[in-house]
Amino acid sequence: MTPDDTTPFSDFLDDYFAECDDHLMGVRRLLLTLEGSVGRPEINRTALDELFRHFHSLKGISGMVELRAAEDLAHSLEEYLRALRQGEAALSAEGVDALFEGAQMLEQVIGARRAGMPLPPIDAVVVRVGRVVAGGATDRASAHASRPPAVAKALKPQWRCTFSPSADLVARGVRVDTVRQRLSSAGEISNAMPRVTPEGAIAFEFEIAATLDEAILAAWRADGIVVEPIVEAAADTRANTELLAGGPEPALVFEGDAATGGGVAPSHFVRVDLTRLDDLMRNVGDLVISRARLTETLARVERRIPSTDWRAIQENAVAIDRQLRTLREGIMRVRLVPVGEIFRRMPFVVRDLARESGKRVHLELQGQGTEIDKFLIERMMDPVLHLVRNAVSHGIEPAEERIAAGKSPEGTIILSAATAGDIVRIDIADDGRGVDAAAVVERARAVGLPVPPGPVDTSHLLALLCAPGFSTRDESDRASGRGVGMAVVQAAVEELSGSLTLETAPGAGTRFTLELPVTLAITDALIAKVAGETFAVPQAAIREVMEVRVAELLQVERNEMTPYRGAALPIVRLGRLFGLPDSQRDRLHVFVIGTGASALGIAVDRIIGQREIVVRAIADELVKVEGISGATDLGDGNVVLILDPAVLARHMRERPDRVFAARGAAR
Amino acid sequence: MPKILIVDDSGTIRKMVRSSLRQIADAEFVEAGNGLEAIEQIALGPVSLIILDLNMPDMHGVDVLKFLRRHKGWSDVPVVVLTTRGDDTSRETAIAAGATEYLTKPFAPQVLLEAARTLLADGAARPRV
Repeated sequence: MTPDDTTPFSDFLDDYFAECDDHLMGVRRLLLTLEGSVGRPEINRTALDELFRHFHSLKGISGMVELRAAEDLAHSLEEYLRALRQGEAALSAEGVDALFEGAQMLEQVIGARRAGMPLPPIDAVVVRVGRVVAGGATDRASAHASRPPAVAKALKPQWRCTFSPSADLVARGVRVDTVRQRLSSAGEISNAMPRVTPEGAIAFEFEIAATLDEAILAAWRADGIVVEPIVEAAADTRANTELLAGGPEPALVFEGDAATGGGVAPSHFVRVDLTRLDDLMRNVGDLVISRARLTETLARVERRIPSTDWRAIQENAVAIDRQLRTLREGIMRVRLVPVGEIFRRMPFVVRDLARESGKRVHLELQGQGTEIDKFLIERMMDPVLHLVRNAVSHGIEPAEERIAAGKSPEGTIILSAATAGDIVRIDIADDGRGVDAAAVVERARAVGLPVPPGPVDTSHLLALLCAPGFSTRDESDRASGRGVGMAVVQAAVEELSGSLTLETAPGAGTRFTLELPVTLAITDALIAKVAGETFAVPQAAIREVMEVRVAELLQVERNEMTPYRGAALPIVRLGRLFGLPDSQRDRLHVFVIGTGASALGIAVDRIIGQREIVVRAIADELVKVEGISGATDLGDGNVVLILDPAVLARHMRERPDRVFAARGAAR
Repeated sequence: MPKILIVDDSGTIRKMVRSSLRQIADAEFVEAGNGLEAIEQIALGPVSLIILDLNMPDMHGVDVLKFLRRHKGWSDVPVVVLTTRGDDTSRETAIAAGATEYLTKPFAPQVLLEAARTLLADGAARPRV
């Protein structure tokens, strides 16, 4: 116990440290966001406000536990943010640097207090932050504008949502806070305020910009949220005009846009919620299925149509097919975002880490404009981050070691992206010491991993590095360790149907290469087993799942049937379709697809689960099989074929005795 | 039985305030983490005293004060503003917005307790509207 523990609130130190952890985590996240605003005319205002509040809270609680060093530090950081908020300072690279340094020092001070260690001196950092505030003020004065910085644009609210709290609602867990969260997940809240109703009760009014459908409205209504559209005079022509929220002269921007159709640098971008694109993609999928159904219907009536008319219909059908494909590809393209989104954060991670480890590292970014699916971007962030951290902590040598080896004292890491056909390639290369094969082998043996005899090549080396339980350094290596390791990188890459390769040369450097498909479609699917083979069936196509007893199947001519909703449902055994041996089971699971007369049951041995799958189209003409829409990896490394039920059903109805040659494709 | 509403976005501070006021006989405590939640608590039933932080997400403390003071029924609930030293909001602004008392963090438990006791006694003496 240190003498400090006798303060009036020493009982709350655990609460204090826990809350500090939360704030510091938020601070780190927001600093990375804010860093993206450097040099831009507009600052991410939400991030700025949130960051300010974190420092403000840290100051407040640190004061309560009499940790003056933390209080003073947080105060100086808060002052800089205050200056930014009020437009008295511009966000500079030095400023962000000082914030990073200050935040790190704050973490150290709090950590030292927690460990009962002497506190590190903070004066130098406080002075540096102070200088940035003062310097920022002069920058600003000499800058072209003296008004507060432009802030991120907000959408024009279209809905007014009113929520009246009550004890009943609270009992059901519906509170103003949960309501606010719900609204903000549906759209952007631009205004939230309480008001008093004519009856003298309190209600909350939220103005939001969102696309709302009947289902959402009904769910909200059930929880006491009343929604009404915001009607404004002459709003029709300006409905989609973005205006500067909180900006000093919104009217000016508004007028300019309306009058000249874009006098004030109109934005050519719209922000779209990813789920809307997913919905759109699903709609296209439905369209594809409908298209297949239409083909089937047409086939039935073909002989009753004069051949000249039939040709015209066929031409139209082909045109629709082509347009549908273009539409699908167009939507896929909308989902592409520049890989720079991941890269932008890296310089700070590298700088932070290099400073901590006392190394000199230069990071070079290449191909930031390379486009990649939004879904992939989010999932690639952690693996790339990990590899970059690895390059700094394991790859690049300390300056003295580099000089001794005849290299420049500053190490270089090149992070690059490029597309080749449908593949995106991300390289993380360093000019460091290279992977020490002998050390890796020794370490692998020490932790009990099987090591092949003789010299190991790079693919073996990579396998060892990625083996669960392998870590070349002690747990204390916080920087790249963080309990994830290469095993997680490998797993993440494989889950995305990608690959990871390694090149390394002792003393010259290391290069990790990630190769991923540019686009992916994501869908929910049921996973089924047939004669030991696994198939995925997109859930959207399935109307119902049922279980039938083999003994109860009716034999009608060459087809099997089962009673279903007052009619007979033809059953197709998936195994027979693909030439697999019949199951010995006495019960089968059946997917029902289609409705009415075109309903069909696809029988499998059993359904083993439901998964969100990443669909990868099979592009190779040699392994393309009708009825198979693609392949996926369930995470266990095995390729699983994805059935295209609509196509299967169509073919089955046309030629029930057909056997698909799909087994080869799975290999 | 006095009902005391503690409004602060820091859970640690709310605990500290509660602990400072635990000697108030029979007190019932309710908490809110931001301005909107504070007003919801007030909507759910009358409170005898509010301990109010100023710089919070989702409605600033000063806006909470202004809202309360504008409306009959809540206009005379005593409010102790408890804000962090160096906040933009001055004592004058807070008092003008309707604060009954203005204290700064870090605060001494005894000072907060005294202020709360005085205001609760005043409130009890005054007829309820």
